[in-house]
Parts: sequence; C-alpha cells; structure tokens
Amino acid sequence: MNSNFDSSKIIKRRSFLAIIIAFLFFLIISARLFFLQIIRGDTYKKKSKENRISTKITPPSRGDIFDTNGLLVAGTISNYSFVVYKFLNKNYDFEIKQFNKIITPVNYELFKDKLSKSNPYKPFFLLKNISWDSIVGFEKNKFQFSSIKILETKKRYYPHKNFSQIIGYMSESQTSLKAFPKGAFHIEEFYNNTLKGFPGKTFNEVNAYGKIVRQISLEPSIKGSDLHLTINSKLQNFCQNIIPVNKKGSVVVLNSQDGSILALNSNPTFNSQDFENRDSEKISSFLNDENKPLFNRAFSGFYPPGSVFKPLPALLGLEKGLINETTEFFCKGHSSIGSRNYYCWKKGGHGKVNLKKGIKESCDVYFYELAKLINIDDLSSLATEMGFNQKYSIGLSNAKSGLVPNKKWKRKTYGESWFPGETLITCIGQGANQVSPLQLATYYSSIINGGLFPKPRILKNQSVEFLGRKINEKFHKILLNALNSVVNEVGGTANKLFRDNPNYIKIAGKTGTSQVISIKESDREDDLYKEKQKEQLEKFKDHSVFVGYGPVDNPKYIASVIIENGGSGSSLAAPLAHEILNFAEKNNV
Amino acid sequence: MFKNFQSILQLNWFYFLLIIIIFWIGEINLFSAASGSLEPWAKNQLIRFLVFIPLFFLILMLKSRIIFNLCEIFLILIVIGLLLTLFFGYTGMGARRWLRLGFINLQISEFAKIFLVLYLAKYFHNLDFKGHLQVSRSIIPLIITFIIFILVAIQPDLGTALILLILGCLMIFFIGIRLIYPILIFFIMIAISPFLWTFLKPYQQSRVKTFLNPDLDPLGSGYHIIQSKIAIGSGGTRGNGFLGGSQSSLDFIPEKETDFVFSIFAEQFGFIGSIILISIFTLLIIIPIIKSINIQNTFVKLAILGLSIKLLIEVVINISMTLGILPVVGVALPFMSYGGSSLLSNMIICALIMNLMSVEKKFKYFR
Repeated sequence: MNSNFDSSKIIKRRSFLAIIIAFLFFLIISARLFFLQIIRGDTYKKKSKENRISTKITPPSRGDIFDTNGLLVAGTISNYSFVVYKFLNKNYDFEIKQFNKIITPVNYELFKDKLSKSNPYKPFFLLKNISWDSIVGFEKNKFQFSSIKILETKKRYYPHKNFSQIIGYMSESQTSLKAFPKGAFHIEEFYNNTLKGFPGKTFNEVNAYGKIVRQISLEPSIKGSDLHLTINSKLQNFCQNIIPVNKKGSVVVLNSQDGSILALNSNPTFNSQDFENRDSEKISSFLNDENKPLFNRAFSGFYPPGSVFKPLPALLGLEKGLINETTEFFCKGHSSIGSRNYYCWKKGGHGKVNLKKGIKESCDVYFYELAKLINIDDLSSLATEMGFNQKYSIGLSNAKSGLVPNKKWKRKTYGESWFPGETLITCIGQGANQVSPLQLATYYSSIINGGLFPKPRILKNQSVEFLGRKINEKFHKILLNALNSVVNEVGGTANKLFRDNPNYIKIAGKTGTSQVISIKESDREDDLYKEKQKEQLEKFKDHSVFVGYGPVDNPKYIASVIIENGGSGSSLAAPLAHEILNFAEKNNV
Repeated sequence: MFKNFQSILQLNWFYFLLIIIIFWIGEINLFSAASGSLEPWAKNQLIRFLVFIPLFFLILMLKSRIIFNLCEIFLILIVIGLLLTLFFGYTGMGARRWLRLGFINLQISEFAKIFLVLYLAKYFHNLDFKGHLQVSRSIIPLIITFIIFILVAIQPDLGTALILLILGCLMIFFIGIRLIYPILIFFIMIAISPFLWTFLKPYQQSRVKTFLNPDLDPLGSGYHIIQSKIAIGSGGTRGNGFLGGSQSSLDFIPEKETDFVFSIFAEQFGFIGSIILISIFTLLIIIPIIKSINIQNTFVKLAILGLSIKLLIEVVINISMTLGILPVVGVALPFMSYGGSSLLSNMIICALIMNLMSVEKKFKYFR
C-alpha cells in the first residue's frame, strides 16, 4: 500500500501544477485579448476601416478536353454579368432605377426583397450573359454607378453534343463564384482533380469603403491540365447518326491493338451544355424521360448477349478437352434434359453440327449438348479472364461489373442450387447473363488477340495494360476461322453483309438476338416469328446484337452494336456494324 | 466488453454538454466565415460530426479495462500507419501527411498524439515503482517518443512532431522524474538553440522572424499576423455582431476556416464572447484533471492528464498564434477549425476522457 504512496503524491502535486499552468496560460491569453480588444480596440477599429490590402481568390481556368485529333470538345468561355455590391453605395436603390432607365431594362420589383436581404459584400447578379452593346453603353456612363459593376465569370462550353455521354457535366455552373466548380458526371467528375487547376490570389489596395484603389500584386491562377481522349469525333458522330433515331441502342468501337475506345455512343442522348446553362426545363425533361437519355447504355447498359456469347463455351470445351474441332452433335431442332425440351431457333434442326458450323449457323443445340458437359463455374471464371465480370474504370460514372453467373452467385441471390438446365441457357448467352456493350468489345478483343488483350482506355496518354491470359494458338485459330465463316461463307448468319456490300471492308463477327421476355425457344430467329412480332408490342421485341471486327486479316477495329427491341442480330445490328467498321477503315481513324 | 446501463448513465454528461457547446459555436463560426453560408464548410463539418458520433458513443460504452488492454496494439497500428504515410501518403503542400483510407484522407499524426499518451500511461502504470522515477526507467518511453517524433518530423510536419515530443516529455514529467532534469534540459535547449536555427527550413525561419517583427513583410508571412490582430482588435468589447465582421467578409483573413477561426469569432463577438469561449475551453480541460486527482489507478490518472494536456497545448498555441503571442504554426483549434482528422481525433480524446473519468476511485488496478 504505502510502497506507492510517494509516487502517487508526486503525480497529485504535478496535476495541480498542470491546473495552475492551464489557468496561467488562459490568464495570459485573456490579458492579451484585453489589450487588443479593449485598450487598443478603437485603434484597431480604425485600422480595420483603413485596412488597405484585401486578397481575392481568382478561380483557375478548368482544363480543356480534346478528342484524339486535338478537336476541342470541352472548353471554357468568358461570360459577363452586371452585379450590385451594396456596400459600395447605400443608394444602390437609386442607381438600379437609373440603370433601368439608361442602360438596359431590369425588373427591379421582382428581386427587390431578395437584394435587400443579401450579403452587402457579395456580388448580387442583376443580369447574366450581357451583350457587348450593353457593356459599351455601361462603360460610357460608368461614373453614375458606383455600386454596379461588370463581373467576368467563366462558363464551360461543350461544342459537340455527341460527346455528352462521355464528358458528362458540372454540378454547378462555373458562373457561380466558387473557386472550384465540381464535375458531377463522367469524365468531368472522374478527372475533376486533374482538370480543376489551382486558384490564384490578387492583392488589392482598397479604401475605407472596400473600394479597390489599385492592384498591388498578383499570384496568377494555374489552369487545370488538359485531357486528350481516344475518341475520334468523326467516328463518334457517324455512329451516333447511324443508330435509328427512335431506337434505344448503343455502339462501342474499340481499337483491338491498344485498347483505345474510338467511339462510345448511346441513344437517346442529352446535351451537356443544357446542364451548364442551367436550363431547368430541358434538364427536367432529360431526368423524367422514360427512355433515360442520361443513361449511357454502351457503358452501363447490361443485357443478355445472345449468341455473340457462343465462342466462350466453345473455347472452354476445347480447353477442357470436352470437344475437338471435329466433334459433332446432332441437331434435330431441340435438345432435352429430363422431360424438358430446349429448342434451337431453327425448327427443322441443323443435322450434324461441328464447332465451326455451330458458330457459323448459330446452332443452339450444338451448344446445349456442349453445355451438358460443362461446369458452370469454369465457364464463369473463363468469362472473367476474357473481359466479362469486370468493372472497367475508364472515367465514366456508374461503372458496374455485370454477370456471367456461377453456382455461388445463384446460392447467394436466390438461396438455391444451380440447375443443369441453366447451364444450357447460359451457354447460348441468355438466362442470367448480364454484359455491357463495352464488355462485349473487350471479349472479342480477347478472342482476336489470343487471350491477352489491352485494357480499354479513354485517355490518350494512359499506358497500355494487358488483361487476361494467353490461349492455345490452335484453339485461337479455330475460333477465328469460325467467326470468319459467319460473314464470309455461304450459310453464315451474317453472310448477307458480304453479299450486300462486297466492296466494303472484310470483317468477321457474330450475330446475337437477346431475348426480352421468355418466348418459346423455337421462335427465336425464325422468319415467321418476325412477322408475328410486328403485331406485338414494340417493347417485347428482342434486342438486336452484333459484334464484329475488321480488317479480317489484320484486325484493328471492333464494333459492338446493340439495338434494343431491334429484332434479330442479322437484320439490324449487323449491317450497322458493317457500315461503322467500313467508315473507320476508310477514314483510317 | 461494455459498461452496464447504470454506469453509462453515471458518466459525466456535463462534460459532453461542453463538447456540444464548443462544437456548435464552431459551426456558427464556420457559417459566418463563409459570409453566412452553410457551404462550403459548416455543412461538411456537421456531417462529419454526425458520422463520428457513433464511434464516440462506442468508446464511451467500452469498459475502461478494454481501453487499457488495447494500448500497445493501437500504438503499433499508428507506427504502421505513419510508415505507410511516408511511402504511400497523399502529398499536399509539399508534405506527405495524409493517408488515403477508402474514401477519406486521414492525418495519422493526429492520432499518434492519442495513442502515444495512452501507451506511456500504461507503461508507467505497469512499472509500479516507489518515489521518484529513476532516469534509467525513462529511457524506453523516450526512445518510443523519439521514434514517433522522427516519423512525423520527416513528413515533414515539424509542428505536430514537436507537440508529440512535448507530450512524451510531459508524461515523464507527470509520473515524477526529479525536477532537476527538466530544468537541465531547458537550459541545454537554450544553449543549443542557435544551432537548431540552422536546421529550420527557410519558410520556418521566416515565420519566426516575422513573428518577432510582422512589419518586415506585410504581404508575405507577416500578413497573417497583422490581419488577424486587426480583426480581433476591431471586435472591441462587444464585437461587431453575428455576421458583422468586415475583415472576414472582405477576405482580409487568410485560412480563416482552419488556423484562424478564432480571429473570425473574436471579430464578431468581441472581448466578452472571447472570454466566454476561453472559459468553456478551460472547463473542458480542467474538469477531468480535477476528477483524476482522487483516482488511484495510475493509468487512468496519467491518461486523463496527458489527453487533457494535449487539448490545452492546441488551444493555447492556436489562440496565441492568432493573437500574435506565438509564431504561426499550423495547429488547429479543437472542435472549431475545419478539418476531419482533427475533429475525429479530438472526439476520440474526449470520449476516452469521459470514459476514464468514470473509473472507480478507490481501486488501484483494473479488476
């Protein structure tokens, strides 16, 4: 007990010392406050009125954004406004009435209340976006208005509407006086720190009323860094215009050699400039439009891919040794598990089908039979290696990873185990599959490049990174050969492209039809069914999908096209993709 | 793991009220620093406070013994955090001070203050010695203090590093080293200070010079001090009234939302307001120390003392700097300066103090 008596007494003494020192410090501070505020208070009050140097923050210019050829797609322009500083003249009331008479009419009664309550030291906007004429008129009569000033503000300028889905917009207009208006969507948001720059400071000498007498010194603001996109504006515009106006859909054009995104379109779209202009009518029409024009379908739209998915289970079959190039399955129009039938889109069946024919004619039964041998978890992990299940963080908002399902997902989401029939549906690209047009493009990039493919990017100066893993050269050739036959051999689902435009760029690719509702399997891609569909509601029509690449001998461009409710892949998406790839090659984008 | 409901009710809720009052004065002040606008500071700071409040209550509810048990682990985490900051830290204004954790940037050195104090308190608690502390037994605490000092000093953040060093030394002082040693060190410091001067960076030298004579450079580093003094002085006895400060509205005061919040306050609320604010701060610091005097548990005594002294040091340095009594060093005013790390660390400190104040007085050890 008393062994610690001494030391606890010492702590006690020193605690008291701490209290005394704390009081002492506060006494010193209070004394200093007394000196500054009471003894010298009047002096400082006078000094504060004479205070001659005020610092003003000058907002920096935001960095510009250019397309791949150096064309400006987002910049900054100056804007001029008439503002009132109430503290500069108590008779601001009179001056505004005078201003109304001589310079430009303003409806003073409307904002009289608001103005009287506003902060006298902050500018109050009388008129925004004023014309040169009124500036000249004002300058001539400047001496009459001591409280009214012209204020320069910056405004973001978006000359190309078709870039809106990529560049996004700002959370508030740059016309507000904040040093750093923030980007709120897509590139403007994601690269806000790069674009925003550093503010400068102006030291002004001011008189007793806060009026600036002269500028003493200036730390200039530093403009934000520019961004150079990989998007080619010519191609971007071409793709936007090729999507039928009244259809929802998207296009992605990817350079398979370096991963640069050459075009990324979504229809319907919006105009970034309307957000910068704070055009509330248009903004609310965008927000309330049920076709969701703010939604970038190419990047954030997720669909079942349909038959364009088929090379993936084929590759898995080859890699696992479940099939080889010559393995044949017999298609009699359907395949079955237990009592349930799974139909091929061709009612009569394809007869004997090998891998190449399976892809070329898009035979579903071939893939049903293959699916019976496949473990869904293997399929899902191969899909990840080939570009699916990945959230591409390229600088756009609403990045999602999509889904090629596996057993774990099923258990987690539905609390149920996986049914063999679901593997069948998954292998033809339907069911729970959810992939974006951008992911489809990277998937084909993986096929073309033999497994290792460049990560998609939208900034020019980003270094090229590779994803995926190398696939066996033999299997690689088999897949390319099959995809080639889809377009360039008689009987291929997209052979019509070659026949219609033989002098266009030579491409390869795969058609797909993404089901919106579960219709009977036998009805898919059936010509008779197309007739029936016309009578059906537009929104139940299938999505038309095509992913193609060219030139076929040395692939460079990949186009991934999805037209919602566009019918079968061969009828709409495929010819559009052909046009796009042809345009890209002919213009050497 | 948690206190029972009865002992939670018996916590010192008056102390909690003081925190709320100071924070609320800070909110009003940030609102006026933005010329009567919730943006950009007041709203953000309030959101942070609300986000941190659950952590505050979690600490309150912990059994004090749990805090005692976790001291070493947290100190190790802090050292790791400081190392990570050096290698992967987020660079701002020429120093690597912030560590990006998910969506927030944390200034780990702020939290080093807390856990250095707690660790040293536990170390001395476990020594369990008689009489004065022998010098040999202060070697390990000194080494640990010094390691943390160096890790923060090379960021570089000399202001925070010095506070850490002072806190470490004060802990050794409070546990009862003979008075002769601090006095000796004091004189040695004075003797070698001319040599230390050459170690300071040019901007640090200029801060000390302009502190001694602000008129040397009225547009440069002396600008802060002159403008702050004018703003405070012009407040007079009663102040210019809420939102009535012309100096802050006209942007004469730089960094008015962080280091110079007190100037904004004193300009608006004058001598009377300032004295009231200082009195509240005094209560916040002194109440726990008085309570701790009769507690037998050495860890609790030292922890309360050290943490309260941390608050004292920051309040005194920050206000003295705005009054021109000390040179300008970047030290935040607790609960009033805008900034997440400082708010979070001070909320943790006050939660710890409130928790430890409730320990039963008569027991020397945790049961």
